[in-house]
Amino acid sequence: MVNPVLLIAVPLGLAFAIPLFALFWKNAAKYIPPVALGFNLVVSLLLLPKVLENPLIVSIGGWQPPFCINLVAGPIGVFFSAIIALVGLLVSIYALDYIREGSTEKYHMLYLLLLTGATGVVLTGDIFNLFVFFEILCISSYSLVAYLGEKASIESAVKYLIQGAVGSSLLLIGIGLLYGLFGTLNMADIAEKIDSASPISLFVPMVLLITGLGVEAAIFPLNAWLPDAHSSAPSSISAILSGIAIEVGLYAVARIIFTIFGASNILLFLALLGILALLIGELCAFSQDNIKRMLAYSSIGQLGLILFALGIATSYGVTGGLFQLVSHTLSKSVLFLAAGYIIYQTGSSKISALEGMGKKMPLTCLAFTIGAFSIVGLPPFVGFPSKFLIVRAALATKETYFIVLIGLALLCTVIEGAYFFRVVQVLYFKGGESHSESKEAPFTALIPMLIFVVLIVVVGVYPKLITGVLNSAASELLNRLDYIRNVLG
Amino acid sequence: MMSFLADYIYYIGAFGLILVGLYIILVKHNLIKVIIGLGILDTGVNLFLISVGYITKGTAPIFSRAEIESEQMVDPVPQALVLTAIVIGIAVLALALSLAIRLYQHYGTLNLRKIREQRW
Repeated sequence: MVNPVLLIAVPLGLAFAIPLFALFWKNAAKYIPPVALGFNLVVSLLLLPKVLENPLIVSIGGWQPPFCINLVAGPIGVFFSAIIALVGLLVSIYALDYIREGSTEKYHMLYLLLLTGATGVVLTGDIFNLFVFFEILCISSYSLVAYLGEKASIESAVKYLIQGAVGSSLLLIGIGLLYGLFGTLNMADIAEKIDSASPISLFVPMVLLITGLGVEAAIFPLNAWLPDAHSSAPSSISAILSGIAIEVGLYAVARIIFTIFGASNILLFLALLGILALLIGELCAFSQDNIKRMLAYSSIGQLGLILFALGIATSYGVTGGLFQLVSHTLSKSVLFLAAGYIIYQTGSSKISALEGMGKKMPLTCLAFTIGAFSIVGLPPFVGFPSKFLIVRAALATKETYFIVLIGLALLCTVIEGAYFFRVVQVLYFKGGESHSESKEAPFTALIPMLIFVVLIVVVGVYPKLITGVLNSAASELLNRLDYIRNVLG
Repeated sequence: MMSFLADYIYYIGAFGLILVGLYIILVKHNLIKVIIGLGILDTGVNLFLISVGYITKGTAPIFSRAEIESEQMVDPVPQALVLTAIVIGIAVLALALSLAIRLYQHYGTLNLRKIREQRW
């Protein structure tokens, strides 16, 4: 039996060992993140079948819950840690060659810390522990956004940092209020006692927690930092921020709403916010001429769609939301990775500068195209079953407002299609007969992109591969009584 | 009135600091002032956490000293939280200040209203 603590301890220890290794051999720094994340992937996949039957509760320090800090390795936690490790592993392979400038060992250390924080957030069962892991994630992403040290990246890192720090403070106030009310920090224990408090006294901590986490989860209107930060970070970091960081924030919001508060009255509001974010994100993305900014706005839209699906709060809806989360992670990561090398070759991130790149970098552009088609939701890519599930869930509620909102969401998909197809058209069908020889991305970049593409197609053709896990993950989120019973025994 | 003040003085102080910090962050244009605002906000949050677990005239919970009654011990959990929160706050402030230095090198100003290259 593998202990889930290793999922956090090993990458954390290795992250701090990176500067030491780099003292002796500078190149060691870039090989450590793939090793650590490969280890995490193997451990998560080993744990997954076991936790599907029975969630693993790990108490740290020899005390029993609720007195200890505990990890809850349920289906959702282990599945997310597997996704984080998988995407992290592929992106760290991509970064082997992509990250050349600056003090690379610091990049690799912060990168591993970011993913450790993300893994910790999805595994922890203690709300203050969640805050600490969240801060690890946030602080490392602030500094990674600023990694290039250019004008734009410093400016967006400053914006991101100020908004993120205010959000974390609000989160901490909310945690303090909850501790004052219930005298415990264990999420299951709070969830058990939550009914004993008056709804009025719960409202303030809930708003503070959702707002605080919402900054990182980029819930509209708290997402002003996102387009700047995602577009001016190095492309590998944009992929992680778009594919992992905001998803983890959204997971935390879902955990707070579903498990801790069991609040059903706020869900419609969140669904509405989600659709608003979808509309605004897609409209802004449509008017961008910078490819990375376009992708970043598209992330805002996709996150809105996920929030909408979680807001439906039926078993179908949450499964669809989690599926959309996975599909966004896979597709947006490959889009950013491909865009990274396309920008590297053209030297410009303007969409008009990409003319004819489809002939010069056929494989990279193919990966980009498949990612784009998957985000739009064309079959047979992974975006199709996930969007389909969300539409089915919304229709199955038979509530007028959900049906109106999903209609709006489908309209947004059309806009999405319009701007993604425009880019694909520029890649392949514009530009004269430039006979310059092909300048394909290096193998360390092509292999991760290829694996992403294979995953997108395989899961898209055969969604049953993950729907079983997603179903149990959704029921873990929705059945708070089971969660409480599992943790407190 | 006075007894209300005496009972809740720490909470009033904590939320006063939080509001001052938020006001500075929202209103001030100078990045250094905004960072000072973040510091004040952090202090307010920490004071709030401490006052959640505080008992009037309480002392530290040291079990090996028999003369301390258990009713006089303050709750140690919030203090542990605050220790962690202080460390995190320091890290964020240090990062913010180092970014401020770089921002000044690039733009020659710390006025956030003048630094607007990226917009929606």
